Amino acid sequence: MNKYLLSKKLIINELSTFYSFLIGLSIGITIGSIILLTQGQNPIEVFSLMLKLSIGSVKSISSSLNKATPLILAGLGISIINSVKLWNIGAEGQIFMGGIALNFIYISSEISNPNLMIIFLLSSSFIGGAVCILFPAIAKVLFGVNEIITTLLFNYIVIGLTVYLVNGPWKDPGSLNFPAAAYVSKEVYLPTVFGRLSYGFVICILCTLGVHYLKEKSVFGYELRIAGGSALTAIYAGINAKQKAFVAMLIGGGLAGLAGGVELLSQTHRVSTGLSQGFGYTAIIVAAITGMRPFGIFLVGSLFGALTIGGSVIQTMGVSSYISDVIQATTLFGALIAQFFFTYKIIRVSEDV
Amino acid sequence: MNHIILEAKNITKSFGSIHALKNVDFYLYESKIHGLLGENGAGKSSLMNILSGIYQPEVGSIHINGNKVKKLNPDFASKLGIGMVHQEFRLINNFSIQDNLTLSKANIYTDNFKEGYEKYSDIFSLSADPSTPISELSVGEKQKIEIMKLIFNNNKIMLLDEPTAVLTPQETNQLKISLKKLSNEDNKTIVLITHKLKEIQEFTESIFVLKDGVMVAKDLETKNVTKNDLITLMMGEIKQSDISKDNKKGTEKLIVENIYFENMHSNVPTLNNISLKIRSGEILGLAGVSGNGQVELANIISGIERQYTGQVIVNGKNISNQGVKVRKNLNLSYIPENRLGVGLAPGVSIIDNSAVKDYFKSKFGPHLSTNKMLDYLNLLITQFSIKAPDPKAEVSTLSGGNMQKLLMGRELISNPEVIIAAQPTRGLDINAVEALHDLIVKQRNNGSAIMLISEDLDELFKLSDRIIVLYEGQIVKEFAIEEADIENVGLAMAGLNE
Repeated sequence: MNKYLLSKKLIINELSTFYSFLIGLSIGITIGSIILLTQGQNPIEVFSLMLKLSIGSVKSISSSLNKATPLILAGLGISIINSVKLWNIGAEGQIFMGGIALNFIYISSEISNPNLMIIFLLSSSFIGGAVCILFPAIAKVLFGVNEIITTLLFNYIVIGLTVYLVNGPWKDPGSLNFPAAAYVSKEVYLPTVFGRLSYGFVICILCTLGVHYLKEKSVFGYELRIAGGSALTAIYAGINAKQKAFVAMLIGGGLAGLAGGVELLSQTHRVSTGLSQGFGYTAIIVAAITGMRPFGIFLVGSLFGALTIGGSVIQTMGVSSYISDVIQATTLFGALIAQFFFTYKIIRVSEDV
Repeated sequence: MNHIILEAKNITKSFGSIHALKNVDFYLYESKIHGLLGENGAGKSSLMNILSGIYQPEVGSIHINGNKVKKLNPDFASKLGIGMVHQEFRLINNFSIQDNLTLSKANIYTDNFKEGYEKYSDIFSLSADPSTPISELSVGEKQKIEIMKLIFNNNKIMLLDEPTAVLTPQETNQLKISLKKLSNEDNKTIVLITHKLKEIQEFTESIFVLKDGVMVAKDLETKNVTKNDLITLMMGEIKQSDISKDNKKGTEKLIVENIYFENMHSNVPTLNNISLKIRSGEILGLAGVSGNGQVELANIISGIERQYTGQVIVNGKNISNQGVKVRKNLNLSYIPENRLGVGLAPGVSIIDNSAVKDYFKSKFGPHLSTNKMLDYLNLLITQFSIKAPDPKAEVSTLSGGNMQKLLMGRELISNPEVIIAAQPTRGLDINAVEALHDLIVKQRNNGSAIMLISEDLDELFKLSDRIIVLYEGQIVKEFAIEEADIENVGLAMAGLNE
């Protein structure tokens, strides 16, 4: 009798993550096409329009990259936490918390130097995100509470807090009863580089480089990898695994908070429940597809930003914008399956000895 | 003469290329207590797992009351009356005693539980009320419930795997009385698996000895065998060492004084009054059955465990309260017993694992340079002839021997002052063992002070200059290598001192 077993491949192609992404993307586009066909649309037409409207001009490219910015920043935060094999599902809440912290500092201080103020405000959004993950981090290192559950639940708490603030104390009287806080002053808007591209994207590039350095080149990143591989090896090597995990979680939460701050200062300009459109969740997809590699997150995040922009503009053709969500989700699904086959092989063992 | 209730004939079982059992015969007489003796890894647990239906033997047959049993699985074995108490308890902690005892569908005391519980709690001198949750019982009481569970499931053949490992001497004594009652008054057939000589002599009527998967003695009458006979059977002959012992010894590099250590979960000290000295160029062998404090002592010396009293002095520096990194900077190397999981991090690349000892040192640059790490790994690979096809692959893709070479290479390449090596060759094939022994001897000749912790007496006799024996957290004996012989070391390991 024969049995089939999964066995990890000894040598895994270095580019396998990239190939699996391509495979996933083609699966996503195929499924998207099928759905479009059932709707009586011509997929080629729809996709070429999406392409044109998302990367066809300087204006559209900059919109796409602005859309990508929070995805990339939150994705980087998820990636650094995953160095210790922990999952941050709370980026969505941390994005909101970043915005809330920013607005809190904004309304309680005077603007003397706008540029300094922007830096100050963005730092406070970073700290806001870190505070948002503080409780899950403490619960994790002190009591071993599963961080997936706690970070996820914190999303609901923070979104509840946002709803309370924008309907209560922070409600803008001039908003025509729309639940939102007042706009921040134009002085602290993030300036643009060219077209509509905000300086937030520059921050995003710097953070990508920084996280790459931290994860791959620094002693801290090395310690995270060892601690993620085996807590006992970390203790044996003299690494305080819990402390490292704690710091990594705060940095990761902070990056998601920064995503919220950048989004507020460059796009929404105020706190409302629309500050994040599920960026924190899409960022998980982005990070997972790329195997948590910072440069990969940068590229896939940019692509997903373009997809979202493309998706929102094809609504004018009578096609639902959800087509881009479908493509994103099936890309992840396909990429994970492809990654599985790059990592494992199925071997046949005969049972008789 | 009691009749044979269970017989296993010609059992062979292997795991991969390792033969756990080779043509083993084993038989049990009804209502007798049998001892199954053997060192760790001799195949005792494999044999028991076969009898209780967990493993299937490749060759051989099992007969109950003379009838051949076709294919055994745990359920079927239990129906035939074979039950096993594993080393780790399998009780549900927040269920009551009664619920745990009556959980199985095989249970025969559903309606008359009270009666049965009274009878057997009397035999076990257990005073707890059956509604008490398991979590409130002591270890000894839990052990009794485990054994009672077999009785309540109508298991007439009871296989007990190291039942005394967790018991105090008083509890052990009580267990002995209870087991004797069970066999005499209740017709239970009992197998006691152990490596403790004292217990096997006190508890049993008939002894079987396993060594390296072979049954080297069958059905010895307990009252007619001596401890020395059993030790020779269990441990075999020691090969003559072919390694020169006229190495020059220098200054004392490692001094350990009056170590006392208590584990959080137990009230008896894990280590008590441990003092030892190792000179440069000297190998001190630490003999002992595992679980007698070896791991804890190694962890204390290497700075992992810091909640103890006593002194650790390396190269003249008192580092008792210092952590791992201070010791690394004094060039102390520790090769832990658990190579994958402690010494090496599974799921992390070979290249990352190669830097675990020195990653924070300047040789890798202020920013960990991948190229420098790769150079270092290649140095290890050539110097210690490690077969590692892809440095970026996970370390768990290496074979056991290559993993150990990577670990030892990483720890030895810096020519350490002090080396703690725990079970460095366990589970490896003979060529790897030879290569690793050569490494240790070479390091000795280079002037390292080496502490070799091993359960393999061949290895200890071959490499050590002195042997000390650890038993229940204490140094019970010390031998110069020329005075040591298998009998007196073995007796000391079993806790028997004249």
